[in-house]
Formats: sequence, C-alpha cells, structure tokens
Amino acid sequence: MSMEQKAGTRLIVKDVSKTFYQKKIEPHHVVDKVSLEVKDNEFLVLLGPGHCGKTVLLNIVSGLMPPDEGSVYLDGEKITKPNPKIGMVFQKLGLMPWKTVIENVEIGPKLSGINVKTRRERAEYFIDLVGLKGFENSYPHQLSGGMKQRVGIARAYTNDPEILIMDEPFGQLDAQTRYNMQNEISRISEHEKRTIIFVTNNIEEALYLGDRIILFTECPARVKEIYDIDLKRPRDMIDPEFLRLRKMISNNTDLAL
Amino acid sequence: MKKTAAYDQKRRPIKKILNSLLPFVSITCLFLLWFYASNINPDLVPSPASTWERLIQLFVKPVNKMNLFGHVWASLQRVFIALACATVLGVTVGVMIGWSKTFKAIFGTLFELIRPIPPIAWLPIIIMWFGIGEFPKILIVFIGTFMPIVVNTYTGIRLVMPLHLDVARMFNASNRQLLFEVAIPSALPPIFAGIRNATSSGWMTVLAAEMIASKAGLGFLITRGMDYFDVPLILVGMLAIGIVGALLAIITEFIERLLCPWNKKLEQD
Amino acid sequence: MPNDDVKIKVRNLTKYFGDLHVLDNISFDVKKGEFLCVVGPTGCGKTTFLNLLTKLIPPTSGELYINDEPADPKIHNISFAFQEPSAFPWLTVEQNLEFGLKIKNIPKDVIKTRVERIIKLLGLEQFRKSYPHQLSVSSEQRIIIGRSFAMYPDLLLMDEPYGQMDIKMRYYLEDEVIKLWKEFGSTVIFITHNIEEAVYLAERILILSNKPSTIKKEVVVDLPRPRDFTDPKFVEIRKYVTELIKWW
Repeated sequence: MSMEQKAGTRLIVKDVSKTFYQKKIEPHHVVDKVSLEVKDNEFLVLLGPGHCGKTVLLNIVSGLMPPDEGSVYLDGEKITKPNPKIGMVFQKLGLMPWKTVIENVEIGPKLSGINVKTRRERAEYFIDLVGLKGFENSYPHQLSGGMKQRVGIARAYTNDPEILIMDEPFGQLDAQTRYNMQNEISRISEHEKRTIIFVTNNIEEALYLGDRIILFTECPARVKEIYDIDLKRPRDMIDPEFLRLRKMISNNTDLAL
Repeated sequence: MKKTAAYDQKRRPIKKILNSLLPFVSITCLFLLWFYASNINPDLVPSPASTWERLIQLFVKPVNKMNLFGHVWASLQRVFIALACATVLGVTVGVMIGWSKTFKAIFGTLFELIRPIPPIAWLPIIIMWFGIGEFPKILIVFIGTFMPIVVNTYTGIRLVMPLHLDVARMFNASNRQLLFEVAIPSALPPIFAGIRNATSSGWMTVLAAEMIASKAGLGFLITRGMDYFDVPLILVGMLAIGIVGALLAIITEFIERLLCPWNKKLEQD
Repeated sequence: MPNDDVKIKVRNLTKYFGDLHVLDNISFDVKKGEFLCVVGPTGCGKTTFLNLLTKLIPPTSGELYINDEPADPKIHNISFAFQEPSAFPWLTVEQNLEFGLKIKNIPKDVIKTRVERIIKLLGLEQFRKSYPHQLSVSSEQRIIIGRSFAMYPDLLLMDEPYGQMDIKMRYYLEDEVIKLWKEFGSTVIFITHNIEEAVYLAERILILSNKPSTIKKEVVVDLPRPRDFTDPKFVEIRKYVTELIKWW
C-alpha cells in the first residue's frame, strides 16, 4: 500500500481516529479524524492542552499502536510497526536503570547488531553533543533530571533516525532547567538537522522551537489550527511579537481543567 | 528561640551514638538472662561457660569424626548444591511463566497449588521414595529454595515497565531481544531478592531435613544432643545456626550490591 | 523601623549540612496579608529554605518569628501546599477540605461554613462527593490549595504548585490563587522557578543567590491586577529579575 505525496513531505497522517474501550466504562474517544503532513527537515510542534490524545497519536505515528481508522504513511509507505527511520524521545524517558549512560545511548545500534566499535564511536559523538562528556559510565539514578533528558535525546539521535519524535520531553523538569533544555534542543537540532515532531502543552515552548505549530483541541484531539512561525532564531521569549503570538494562541486554546 | 535549634543540634549525634550502642546492650541483656536461667537449672540451661567448653571439646573429640566446621560445611554444602539447581531451574521457569502467556496458562495454576505446601511436608514422602541418603535431603532443600526464586522471577518479569519495552521496540528490538536486553535485566533486583529469601529458607529447611536420619550437619548435631541429653551441644548447634544464617544474609546482600550497581535502594541502606 | 503590620520575621537564617553551606544569613519580613514570591537559580537552597520555614528541619542558626514569637507548629498555623498533588485518595473532595480543620479541633459549624466557602469559590459544587482520582490532576491541585487557605494559616507556603501545567491552565489557577488570597487575606510565601509566574503573582519578589544562598535583591511589583504578560512594564520587570538571576 502506498500513497501519492507532494515533494518535500515525509510523513502523512490521514484521518486517524482512536477510541479506547473498557468494560463498564464509557468508550474513551481520544483521537478524532486527525490529518496532517510533516515536511522534510522541519521542526513541527504539536500543541495541545491537557493529557489527552497527543501521546496516543504519537504512538500511532511511531507504529507502536494501530489506529482504529485512517493510516500513517512514511515516504509513501504505510506504517504498521516501529520503523528504524523514526526515533522517539519519551516523556518519561525509559532509561534502563541497569545500563550506564553510554550503554543506554548505544542501545539502538546494539539491538540492530552494529559492532561495538562503530556504535561506541557514534554514542560518544552524541554524548559529547548533548554535553554529557565525562558521564559515560554513570548510572541514570546518579544524574539530575535535565541530564537524564539529555541521555534520552542522545539515545534517539545515536540510532540515526530521519524523523525524531519528542513526546513532551521537558514536562517533568523545573522551569529553569526547562528553559535550558529548550536552548539545548534548539542548538542540537540546528547542528544535526532532522525532521522533528515535538509534542508539548506549553505555548511558550512551542513558539520558541517550532517552524510550524499544529494546535489541537481538548479531548478528543482534533486539529484546530495550524500556525507558520516566521520569527527569526534564536528566538526571544520577551520580544513583543513573540508575546503577541503567545497571547493569540493562548486565546485560541481550550482550557482543560 | 535558640533553645529549639541548639537543642536539636546537640541531641542528634548523641542519639546516633546511642542507636549504634543499643544492639550490644540487647545482646548483653540476653547473656545476663542466660546466666540467670542457668543458675536456676544448670541441667536444662547450661551456662555460657559450659557451652563454650562443649564447643572446644567438639574440636578435641569430634562427633562422628567431624568437628564443628565439618558439620557447618556439611549443611552448607547441601544448601549450596540445592540453591544452585534451584536458581538455574527457578529463574528459567519464572522467566517462562512471566514472559509467555501459554506457559502461564499451563503451569500457573499448578504452581499455585504446589506452592503452599511447605518443604517439611514433603519430607515423609521423599524419604519413602528416595530413602535417607544425600539426594533426598538436597531435594527437600531444593523444594524450599525453588519456590521463592520462581515467584520472585515471575513477578519481576511481569512488572517490567511497559515504557522500557516500548523504548526497545522503537529501536526495532526482536522478541528475544526484548526478553534478554530489557525484561531479564530489569527483573534482576527482584530475582536477587528471591535468591536471598531462598538462601534463608534453604538454611532453615536443611536443618529440618538433617534432624531426621543424618550423620552430619548442624541439624544432626542438635538431634544428637537431644538423644544423649547433651544440652550444651544443642546450644552450640543453635548458636552456629544463628551465626551462619546471619553471615549468609550478609554475603548474599553483598553479592547483590556487586551485581546490581544501579539499584538505588541498596545504595541508600 | 518598627511596623505593627509585620507578621513574619525571618532572622539570620543559616544552614549547614556538615561542611556544605546551603543558606547564609537570610533575613526578611513579610507583612500581614502580603503575597511574597521567592525565586532563585536551579540548585540554590530552595528546598532547604522551605523546609526551614515549615520547621521540618532545624536551622544551624537563626529563627523564624510569627507575630513576634518564635514560630512553633503547636501554636502557629503554617500551611504548606506541596509541588505534587497530595490529596488523600481515600477521602472525598469535601472530606479532604475538612481534614486539616478537624485535626485542629475547630467547631463543626465553623468547618462547614469555611468548606462551603471554598467549594463555592473554586466552583467545585458538583464534585464535592467525588474522590481525587475521579478528578484531573489540576483539580486535585486546586483542592490542595483550597485546603491550605481554609486553614486560615498564619503563613501559607507554596512550592511551585503549578510547575508542570500548561500556560493557559497556569494563568487560570494563578488567578484563582489571587482570588483566594484576596478573599482570605492570607500571608503567602510562594516559591517558584518561573520568573514570569513570580511577576504575575507577587507584590514583592525576593531573589536568592546561588549556594550558599542569601537574598540578593528585593523587587517590588506594583502593577495593577489582573496583570497582562504582554504589558511592557510587566516585560520590563520580568527582564530585570531574569538578569539578576542570570542562570544561563
């Protein structure tokens, strides 16, 4: 199965819906007919309130979960299972506590059977890039929240994906570490160009990072609005235009109490 | 105002010292109680001194050609052999029923039925089947150590964080890799907890097994003491059991710390 | 400068953990009914500072006074809203709100009126019989904060209660806190990493330095409410405080 696509488009999500059924509980409709396109090498932000829908949509895009309706195409090919072209930075990280930093980072190439020397070299390059040189042999529990997040990012990059999905990677960090990491991800993504799909509920973060922002509704998730962000980089969070856009998007966002 | 702050500052170190002294205090109290009791009826409760003498005598004139260390080693050997078998088999079985729904369906219920039967209850039937040699004793200890290892391994595998599995799946891990790269390593701490339980349970079981028809081991020593009304010998045996048991616990914890350096819980202790 | 309005006095608060000097000689006053925010760089002694104020740990030296007496949890009422939602899962919304008041042996009818007032202010009427797990995380946090205000505390401490929430939600909840604060006239110390949040909420901001932490600067925020984060004056204060912290 394949699908026609415009030049420069990597990934197409077409009419994807998902509902969860549980005994004795009303069906939980979380994703409703979502269609979107991801362009080559763009930094796309999926912005939505609350906790509904976005993570499920990501799991569908990454092939971890099948949709009820609709399909996802990568370079014209339908996605039915995890694809090595797509990498993921998980919200809760999922670092393996029994592995050191470098063992965590090289897990992708290791699982695909790449030899020790090559994968070590690649892992070391990205550990250096995310600023963790010197911590290669530490265990995750010895690192701070921001550092763990860096390990998660290096791990995803080391597998050399063409598309990187980041699921609210900074949701658990305190405000200042978060600002730091936003700077970092902006720097890293400039340095190592990839197509990035970044999910967040934070409007400021979305505006700081995104080339494009797709705004979702509260549960079930539907595409509400698409914004092209033309602010020049590096962006300034207290620039009047930045604040104006922030207010505009905020007014268009649902409040999810 | 200064009162509260200064008060707490001073009190804490004293409390710390006190807490580290308390174990010695309680052991001393037990000794005193022992002295006291042995004064009342020295036949039934021999004094610490005569127990000590009996211990020395055990080296001079061994029981059944073995001194105390010989008997300790005889018991330990049985535990080690049984434990080694139980670890290999128990981890394998635990991983299988934890990982595969089919295996769980086949063995799960069966296992739940057998599990509540204590190892001692197996004793009569095993003696009837296999006699009183070395094998039936090890078999009983094996039963006592096998169960906790299976249960812990199984639980450990079931409780693997789905997120960790997803991470590996995103890297296209095969089923085999999911098991060997993610599930088993993440289950190591509970598996070790199982081995620790198994060691202490095995130590208890071996003594019970030795109390029936045996020619060596601490259990035998105690039964021998009872048969000859040699109460100091019983006490020597009991003390040896306590000390060796405590040492085993310390050693297994040490090994666990060595093999699971990521386990934060151990580090904080 | 003697001032009858001063409710909380912190004097020469210093804390060492062994050789580690965490807090250094912190002194400040809080007026009755004031909303004070404390900000500082990541890794400053923020948590220690809080724990000293709640009297969870003793200071190396220095003291906290409430109404000119040394603070004592047995006499004074210090309320604390944690960062993580901490409603009791086995109690309903209503029972959660009553909980602290019951422990303080407050008469039943007083409890009833106070709880009613909070429920009405928060608009939680339809959830009064619900259990925390039936609510969203944000609503659970609202209960906690309501519960803290319902205690009529001498001092209400809040530790970044909205850290993980999206901006829209945060502003809604921040407005709600301001509403509760005005209604109850409580004295609040609100600790946060988020400078914008501090500027939005505070009448006065204390800026802590890196370890050993001390008060580096005090900034008075006298903007009218409700505040607007795009207002140039607001942006100016935010910028000024950010410069002072300089964490990047």
